[in-house]
Amino acid sequence: MIKILFIALSSSLFMGCSLIKDVKPWEKETLAKPIMQFGGLHPEVTKFESHVYFSKEASRGGSGVAGGGCGCN
Amino acid sequence: MFKKTLYTLLLSSIALMALERGDAVPKNIQEKLKLESDKIYVVDFFASWCKSCKKELPLISNIYTNKIAKVIGINVDKNQEDGEDFVKELKLPFPIVYDSDKSVVEAFNPMGFPAIYYVKNGQVLNVIFGAVEEIDKKIKEDLKAIK
Repeated sequence: MIKILFIALSSSLFMGCSLIKDVKPWEKETLAKPIMQFGGLHPEVTKFESHVYFSKEASRGGSGVAGGGCGCN
Repeated sequence: MFKKTLYTLLLSSIALMALERGDAVPKNIQEKLKLESDKIYVVDFFASWCKSCKKELPLISNIYTNKIAKVIGINVDKNQEDGEDFVKELKLPFPIVYDSDKSVVEAFNPMGFPAIYYVKNGQVLNVIFGAVEEIDKKIKEDLKAIK
């Protein structure tokens, strides 16, 4: 009984995994919007904030990665 | 039973594969693009939100206006109006197919944008993915090599 329950539970969990789809290059419209870039619409504000963070914490980095989001290279 | 499942899985994976050099473009897509026989077409997939596409499109327009090759643009914007505004903004001179139902782009299944396919007689001759500096020169070189 426990075995059947375990199989039913795990299969329902893995079924959820099968629903995950890749985002195709032509579906990256939202990711390519300016608001989606690191630092939001006003990267200069983020730059200033990171400067304040660096001054206070004496450390920087780890706030993002390079890339556009439209799947171009 | 196992064999049947394996074959089904294999067939479904083939359907998801992208078109590559030497592959045939599905007949219904050829008809949709109105491809004439014995002519090389430069099929360019683009979207208004793709910055690299915006950079490349004026150079591809030169290819068309200088009659170096036939060009077909495939706009994949979700909202067709966005695509139409983009085409007007860039004054693209070549024929555009608005692929709002995604049938064309799903058939080609490019791995990145911008995507350019050279197609002749319904067959993919070569593919370029991603932004290329001086794409017009690259297309000219490729066409020379193909001819």
